[in-house]
Amino acid sequence: MQNIISNPDQAHEHDSGEERKLIGDRGDYFLNRMQGETGVNISACYQCERCTNACPVSHFMDIKPHQAIRYVQLGWREDLLKSSTIWMCLSCEMCTTYCPNEVDVAEIINHLRNMAAHSSITPKEKSLAVFHQTFLEVLQKSGKVNEFRLMNAYYSKPDILKERVKQGILIEDLLLGMTLLRKGRLKLFTPKSRAIKEIKKVYSQTRGEIV
Amino acid sequence: MRLSFYPGCSLEGMANDYARSIDAVFKNLSIDLVEIEDWSCCGATAAHSLNQAMSVVLPARNLAAAEKMELDIVSPCAMCFNRLRFSQNMIKKKVFDIPWPVTGDIRVHDMTRFLAEPPMIKSIKERILRPLNGLRVVCYYGCQMVRPPKITGYTDYENPQTMDRIAAAAGAQVIDWSYKATCCGASIGIARREIGESLTKRILQKARQSGAEAIVVSCPLCQSNLDMIQKDRSKRHTPVFYFTELLRLSFEEHGDPKWFKMHFTDPVPLLRAKGLLS
Ligand code: SF4
Ligand code: SF4
Repeated sequence: MQNIISNPDQAHEHDSGEERKLIGDRGDYFLNRMQGETGVNISACYQCERCTNACPVSHFMDIKPHQAIRYVQLGWREDLLKSSTIWMCLSCEMCTTYCPNEVDVAEIINHLRNMAAHSSITPKEKSLAVFHQTFLEVLQKSGKVNEFRLMNAYYSKPDILKERVKQGILIEDLLLGMTLLRKGRLKLFTPKSRAIKEIKKVYSQTRGEIV
Repeated sequence: MRLSFYPGCSLEGMANDYARSIDAVFKNLSIDLVEIEDWSCCGATAAHSLNQAMSVVLPARNLAAAEKMELDIVSPCAMCFNRLRFSQNMIKKKVFDIPWPVTGDIRVHDMTRFLAEPPMIKSIKERILRPLNGLRVVCYYGCQMVRPPKITGYTDYENPQTMDRIAAAAGAQVIDWSYKATCCGASIGIARREIGESLTKRILQKARQSGAEAIVVSCPLCQSNLDMIQKDRSKRHTPVFYFTELLRLSFEEHGDPKWFKMHFTDPVPLLRAKGLLS
């Protein structure tokens, strides 16, 4: 294998064919912003890849955890927000726990996921993004999350139902649901919390609404 | 002894059997668990993923309620425990506004660690009527209970011991293994089932290879995940117990098969074979 240093064309194999991205005007603006918002010293990363090696799902990610950190340093914001990585991440905290430089990788990825959720970029892993979204919707309706309501709400999302049919797992899902009901694991009714109003209010406030 | 109890949503639904076993165990240990008044969801992974402010604010509501009761919290669910501790940490940093009066000074215990303290182990041992002799188990801790150590306070996060000590106190034969804290993929399991399954199956396989007949857990998500996805060619069944279910079994002279009817992988044949159930 050729050395990538002597052959700079191979330095970014995964986006070969694309134009080389110059840092140019963006400078370290994005890096500083991310460091400021998360309180994490991202510059401390020395690309040892320990985070990626510890990650149980790195093989399903298009940008590996250590690369994600590098991308932040380079200011490649859109690539990160478009990646499968930010949705694939399980928040299992292996990367953070094992980084020799105390770079909180999981927090960085989580913060990018937050950013993506508030951007116009379509999530690469839509089913995962929609699941989180549905969870929050159910939470707001009753202050607690009842699994039966959660699954119903999730399957009622048009894209999700279509996808499950396409993958041919809808029948399996339904059978599983029936077994869960029979075993008494899915409860149709569970008590609500009185907090619904308060929670809705804070939720609107966090999204910049004046209430 | 009195503590406030934050059950979390799962214990009202999927993990209702966990709730019942906790109830029985704490009654037997004469520890008073007072459910937090009008508690609400901690937001779990979803709030954390999509709205960081909510991931601090939602647990803070429950912290505030417990502070009002002036009782430390014990949390049976690894995820809730992690979110409550995370929220406390962020409250101290004062970067999010919390609409409820809360200091974050209360102690949040994870239930396994609370019961694994030496005096607790002692009182557990005193109450064992039927030791789980000959039952070979591995304990599985997962992610959220132990990581990140800065939040969870676990110093032995690579080889946690809390459930190991409890299961051993109940007389079970606890086997060492390397997958105690490897992620089971529960959080991705619904939306991307094939990925979740690949992680879950690896854990089941390693548990079986280590010679375990059953897995002991404390997290409702880990339990349902490991319990439900057992189908493979080997057709082996490895029941997945909540650690309090085993405690309850050892505390009472006669166990009841009905306690385990919510399990997918039926543990009754195994328990009968070991003479632990009639
Ligand atoms: S483990 Fe830390 S230092 Fe190493 S590549 Fe990952 S973030 Fe960088
Ligand atoms: S937190 Fe995410 S990126 Fe880090 S090891 Fe876990 S799955 Fe991988």
